[in-house]
Order: sequence, then C-alpha cells, then structure tokens
Amino acid sequence: MRRITYIFLFIFVFQSNAQIADFKTVKFDKADKIALKYKDENLSNLPQLSYKLTSELTTDIERFRAIFKWVCSNISNDYSMFTRNMRKRRRYRNDSVKLAAWNAEFKKTAFKKLLKKNRTVCTGYAYLVKELASLAGIECKIVNGHARTSTINIETLDINSPNHSWNAVKLNDKWYLCDPTWASGIPNPTTYRFQFYFNDGFFLSDPNIFSINHYPQNEEWFLLAEEKPTFNMFLEAPVIYGNAYNYFSNHLEPKKLDNTVKQNEKVTFRYRLLKNINKNDVHLIVEKNENEKKVKPSFISTEKTTLIFEHAFDFRGYYDVHLYIKNDLIATYSFEVKK
Amino acid sequence: MKIQLTSTRKLWYTTMLVFAIFAFNPMFGQSNTTTSQKGKTIKGIVSNESGPILGANVILKDTNMGVVTNEKGEFTFPTALKTGDVLVISFIGYKTKEFKIKDTTTFIKLTIYEEVFEFTGAPNSNKRYKSKRNN
Repeated sequence: MRRITYIFLFIFVFQSNAQIADFKTVKFDKADKIALKYKDENLSNLPQLSYKLTSELTTDIERFRAIFKWVCSNISNDYSMFTRNMRKRRRYRNDSVKLAAWNAEFKKTAFKKLLKKNRTVCTGYAYLVKELASLAGIECKIVNGHARTSTINIETLDINSPNHSWNAVKLNDKWYLCDPTWASGIPNPTTYRFQFYFNDGFFLSDPNIFSINHYPQNEEWFLLAEEKPTFNMFLEAPVIYGNAYNYFSNHLEPKKLDNTVKQNEKVTFRYRLLKNINKNDVHLIVEKNENEKKVKPSFISTEKTTLIFEHAFDFRGYYDVHLYIKNDLIATYSFEVKK
Repeated sequence: MKIQLTSTRKLWYTTMLVFAIFAFNPMFGQSNTTTSQKGKTIKGIVSNESGPILGANVILKDTNMGVVTNEKGEFTFPTALKTGDVLVISFIGYKTKEFKIKDTTTFIKLTIYEEVFEFTGAPNSNKRYKSKRNN
C-alpha cells in the first residue's frame, strides 16, 4: 500500500510544475506527440497548422500545449537579428520618427524571415503562439515588457523601451504566463549560436518566479494578487537562470543581486520549491578574485516545500555566489563583505 | 432495308436520348442560387492597404477546409457554403478577420490590416553572471 502511495505521489506530485499544478492530472504526451508529428509544417498556412495541431485534442490545455510545443521546437531565435534591432532601437530612442520607421521596416523583414526561414526574435514567438491559439479558439495575448538575464546590462534598460515579449493565456477562465522564447532554447555556450533545448519551466510558470526576471509594461500582467514589484526592485533583483523555473515557484531571499554584509554574518537564502529535492544536491560556488570554491551551506532545510539555507563569509572582500542544484546553475548574487 | 421499330428498340433509343441529355449538358446546378439548401459557391478578393495580396488563407471556421488567394488576391472557396458559415481570413503579420456568410453573400471583398506591434527580443542565457565589483 505504501509503495502505491509513493508511486502515486511520484506521478502526481513530483511532476507538477508551477501553475501547471492546476493541470496535474493532464498528461501532455499526446499533445507533445502531435507537435512532433507536424515537425515539417511551415508557416504559410497558420489556420491549417492550428487545426492540425489541435483538432485531435479534447481540452484547451492540451491544445495550447501542442501549439506551444510546436512553436518552441520549430522556430529558432535569430541572435543577429536581435542585436541589430536592439542597436537601432537604442540609437533612435529619442527620435520617434526614425524609431517608427525602423520598427515598420524591421517588422516587414521579421515576418518575411519567420515565414521563409522559421527564424525570429521574441515577439515572433509570442505572435505565433497568440495567433495559433486564437485560431484554435483559445484566448491568448502578447505581453510586452522587460526581461533580465545574466548577459543583459541593466544600465541599458529603459522603462519606456521594452526588450522582451511573452504570452498570457486564458485556460478554464484563469490567466497563465508563459515565455515561448525562453522555453525554446539558449545560445550554445561556446559558439553562441541558437540551440533548441525545451525548458518546461516556462510553460504556465508561477507568476511569482516569473516576476523576478519579467517586468510587464502593463502591471496587470504580473498576475500577482498581492504586492507587485516596482521597476527598481526588478532591476535590483538577483540573476536567475532558466533552470530556476524547473525547481522553484518563487524566489524569496536575498531580494537583491548586490548585497552588503558583515564578516561572519549569516546570510539566509529562501525559495519556494516546485518539487522535492535532495539536500545533498544543493551547493554554492563562491567566487573571489578569480578563485572559486565549492561550498556546502552550513544549515539547510527543505521542509514545507521551502528550501532554506545559510552561508557566512569568513573574510572581507567582494564575492560572487552561484547557487547550483546538481549541475544546474540556478541563481547568482554578489556580496561585499565588510568588517 | 426498312428498320422496324419494335417496342424494345423504342425503349433503347429513348434511354440513349435521355442519357445523352443528362450526360452532355453541363450542370451548374446549385451554384449561386442563394436559396439552395446545399449552399453556394463563394468567391472573393483579399487586399491590404496597398492592394490585393497573394497567399492569404481563407478557411471555414473550425474545419480544415480552405483556400489560398492567388496573385490577384482572388479566391474561390472549394466547397459550397451555407448562410451562417464563418470564413476566417488570415495572413502572417496581419490581424485575423472573420466573415459570416449572409443570405445575399456571393462575393466577398475584404481588407486586412497589419498587426500593430514592435519587434523586440531578449534571448535567455546560461552564461554565468560576473559582477563588475568582483575583479
């Protein structure tokens, strides 16, 4: 009997992912299989593509899953396009006429590239997901705003000029968030070319973890009932990586990337867990002056779906602290340790 | 030699005649008759602000049936449509439009408009962050 309970827990609890918890009894095997089956479809006929992806499925969540999975596995992120666009947008930031002209021109080439080569930047992903979902009768929106990654220099971020787009989707009368661009893949660490690598964490993500590195222009799209972060809080937030979305539903402490602490003072790290993890898998890489050390936190607890651990610095100086679970890089913080 | 018109022969000729009338007479039947229960053929033209567009998709809502516009923006819907059927007109980068077939509809003239948005995009990265103050 106990074994059955564990198997049950394993299937229904440990696999649950973020907001996906609302749909824990839904299996996506069929939807994912359909997305794979139509791998060679192109974008010349979106209504037909939407029909093919959704007509064999019975629930909206599965239909939306097939669309999301298809877009994330077939559309690649064009980094050169992204760089060129950001450069121009920054240059014309204070010239609305030139900026509008550039946006119109870029939109044309972007759609052409999407249609002919299946390559795009974030807005292209968000547009496709929205369009295919709408054609299947699912209410879906493009959300524009700011995103923060480890490689984005926050000094270049301007509250009036968004750098990212993602989606909000309404399923069973409730809104959910997802980021198809980030779910599709990341740059290869050595060649920097786009590499498909599906990250399930960005499908119906928990709005709490989402708000750590997504700042929507319209704050209603935080989908947070309580206190919403300000733009400054967003800019000061720690750097979290894609893997964080696979382990956490919320990031609680430290609230900031840059921290100042006293020598030997205990620093608390706190996260809301999505699934059970083994304490032994948690470690920190503490980096100081080009030297790095793997450190096991002094105290660690994973009770009540919350991961808590502590760390203290023995010496003064500047440190970068990276959180890892197994080999997955999760988050980075920086500390100035004073006497 | 005189051909005798036996009753069998008469029947044979009549059958052939009837067959010939139906076989070689092209039947346009139902098309364009608005009252017909089987529906009507719908033609149309799809344009954007600068003129007719090639490659716009026209489908019958919630089905896989559809057609793509030609270089003059024209289409002829492949199956007969009934009053109340909804056509969905879409083209990448444009707002999708729906058109409901009315009693009097035979020809549709539609203009579709571009989606209004700006392209942006921040790729995610797994590159480990390095603070400036840790040098």
